[in-house]
Amino acid sequence: MTGSADPAVIQTRGLSKRYGKVAALSDATITIPEGRISALIGPNGAGKTTLLLRLLAGQARPTGGEASVLGSPPGQEPAFLAGIGFLAQEIPLYRRLSAEDHIGIGAHLNSRWDSESVRDRLESLGIPLGQKVGTLSGGQRAQLALALTLAKRPRLLLLDEPVAALDPLARRQFLAHLAEAVAGGGMTAVLSSHLIADLERTCDHLILLAASHVQLCGDIDTLLAEHRVLIGPAKDTTAIERDHTLVQAVRTARQTTLLIRGNKPVTDPAFEASDVGLEELVLGYMGQHSAPAHLTAIGEGQ
Amino acid sequence: MTWVVWRQHRNQAYFAAAALAAFAVLMVVTGRQMAWQYQSALTSCTASHNCGNLANILNLGNPVLSLLVTLTVAVPCLLGMFWGGPLLARELETGTSQFAWTQSVSRRRWLTVEAGWALLAAAAWGGAVSALVTWWSSPENALNHQNFQPGQFDIQGIVPVGYALFAMALGITAGALLRRTLPALAVTLGFLIFLRIVVADFLRPHYLTALTRTFSFLHPPALPEGSYWQVSGGVTGPGGLVPASTAHGGPSITFAGVNLPVSNLPSACQALMFQNPRRLASCLAGRGYHAVISYQPASRYWAFQGIETSIFMVLTAALLAATAIVVLRRDA
Repeated sequence: MTGSADPAVIQTRGLSKRYGKVAALSDATITIPEGRISALIGPNGAGKTTLLLRLLAGQARPTGGEASVLGSPPGQEPAFLAGIGFLAQEIPLYRRLSAEDHIGIGAHLNSRWDSESVRDRLESLGIPLGQKVGTLSGGQRAQLALALTLAKRPRLLLLDEPVAALDPLARRQFLAHLAEAVAGGGMTAVLSSHLIADLERTCDHLILLAASHVQLCGDIDTLLAEHRVLIGPAKDTTAIERDHTLVQAVRTARQTTLLIRGNKPVTDPAFEASDVGLEELVLGYMGQHSAPAHLTAIGEGQ
Repeated sequence: MTWVVWRQHRNQAYFAAAALAAFAVLMVVTGRQMAWQYQSALTSCTASHNCGNLANILNLGNPVLSLLVTLTVAVPCLLGMFWGGPLLARELETGTSQFAWTQSVSRRRWLTVEAGWALLAAAAWGGAVSALVTWWSSPENALNHQNFQPGQFDIQGIVPVGYALFAMALGITAGALLRRTLPALAVTLGFLIFLRIVVADFLRPHYLTALTRTFSFLHPPALPEGSYWQVSGGVTGPGGLVPASTAHGGPSITFAGVNLPVSNLPSACQALMFQNPRRLASCLAGRGYHAVISYQPASRYWAFQGIETSIFMVLTAALLAATAIVVLRRDA
C-alpha cells in the first residue's frame, strides 16, 4: 500500500485501548499516505472515532500496539505537537476571549504560526475579530477553530466531527476550504463524520471502524473497485463465497443480495453484479456488525 | 506562555488587585490613626508613671474594623476557591485543555507556567494582606499581647502566605482530579477548613513542648512575659486536677487565666467565695490547691510561625506533585 513516493503519515500496528475490561479499540492497523483526506467513519456516538483521533494526536495513551505519526510515536513533545493540527469535537475555544485573543495565544504557543491567514479567513467570512467567542454562532466558532488549527501550518490535520455544528452551506464552504488547504501541499487530513454524503465529496481515503475494529482502510476508489453488489434469486451461494469474501448477505424468500469483496469474475449467471457506492459500502460493513457494537466490545474484553 | 496566562486570568487579577487596594487604603488610614492614638496614650501615661493598666483603659480601633481584619482569615480560601479551583477544572470542563495541549507547547511547561503564576499570585496576595494586617495590629499587639492567640496567629506574620499557597494548590489539584469547577470549589472549601482546624487545634499546641508554671493562691500570679499563648490551665488539689466545668453551671472564679466553678471547690472554702476573696485564697492554699498553666512563651512566636508555614509548604509541594502526575499521565 505504501510506496516510497507516497510515504505514510500515519502508520499504526495493533493499536488498542481498553478501559478496564472494556476494549474501546482493538488491534487497529491503519496506514494513511501523505496528501490524503481520509474519512474516519464509525458507529454513531460510541466515541471510537474520537478515541482513535486522540490516540493519533498524542492526547490519549494506547494500552497496546504502536503508532507512528509523522515519523514518531504520538506524545506531548512540542516537536510532535507542532506537526499536527487537532480539532476536538466540542470545538473548544475560550468563550470569554475574542478571536484576536486566540490568534495571540496561538502565536505565543507555536513556533510556526500564521496569524494573517486566520484574520484573512475570518474577514472573508465576516466573523468579527474582537467579539467574545462565546457570542459567536456555532458555525462561526467552528470556522474560527478550523482557521486556528490551520494557522499552525500542520502537516497532519486531525478533525473530529468538524462539520457537525454547521448548516449545509457552511458545511460545504468548510470542506472546500479544507480541500483547498490540503491541495496546497504537504498536508494530510483525517476527519471523522457520520455524514457520508459530505465525506464522499471531499475525501479520497476511508477508515471504517465497526465493533471497535478497523474494518476497512484504503483509498476510496480502490475500495469501491474491490467490492460489488450481486443480486440474484434465493439460492445457494457457496460457490461465490469460495471465490470472494462475503461482506453482507440479505436473503429473502425470492431474492439474495450480496456485498462481496474480491476481483475474481462471478461465474454464476443467475447473479447480476453492479458497482457499489460509498454509502452502500459503509452501510454494508456497519450492517454486518449490527449486533450492537458495544455488546461485542464487552464480549471481546472478557 | 506568560502572555497566555495573563490573557486568561487578567480579569481575576484586576478584581483581586482592586479588592486589595481598597483593603490597603482602609488599613493604612485606620492603622495610622490607631498608632497615633496608642503613641499619645503611651506618652501621657509614661509622664504620669501610670502605664500598668493601659490595656484596660485604652480602646483601640472599632468592632467593625476588628471583624473585617479577623475575616481576612478567609483570603487564602477565596484565592484557592475562585482562582485555584477553576484553573484546571474550567479547562477540562469546557474542553479548552484540548486546544491548549495541542499547540506546540508541552503539557509540562503549560502546567508549570499556569500553576507557577497562580502560586505566585497566591503568595503575593496572601503576603500583602498579612503584611497589612500585621502592621495594622502592631499597637494592638503591643497593648494586648494577643498575636500568639488562635485567630490572631492565623492572620498575622508569615503563616497566611503558607495558607494561601496551600489553598491555591488545593484548588488546582481538586480541579485536576474532579474536572468540574463547582465540585472543585466545594472540595477546596471543605478540605481547607478541615485541615486548618486539625492543624490549629490538634497539632499547633505540640510543635514544641509547652512550658508549665504553677501559681500559689496566696500571691498575685506572675504570668509569663509578653504575648505568650496559654495552651491549657487548671487547678490541682490533693485529689488531682479539679474539673474546670460542671454539668449545672453556677458561679465560678478566675485565677491566673484559669476558670474554676465554685461547686468543684472544697465545700469548706465555697462559702468564703462571697465573703472574702483573700480568705478564699488562703483556704484553698491551705488545703494544697495550686493553679497550673501550660503555655508557649512569646519568644517562640516566630518559631511557631515558621513551623506552621513549613507544614503547609510541604503539603503544597505534595499537592503540586499529585497534580503534575494527574495532568501529565492522564489522557487529555
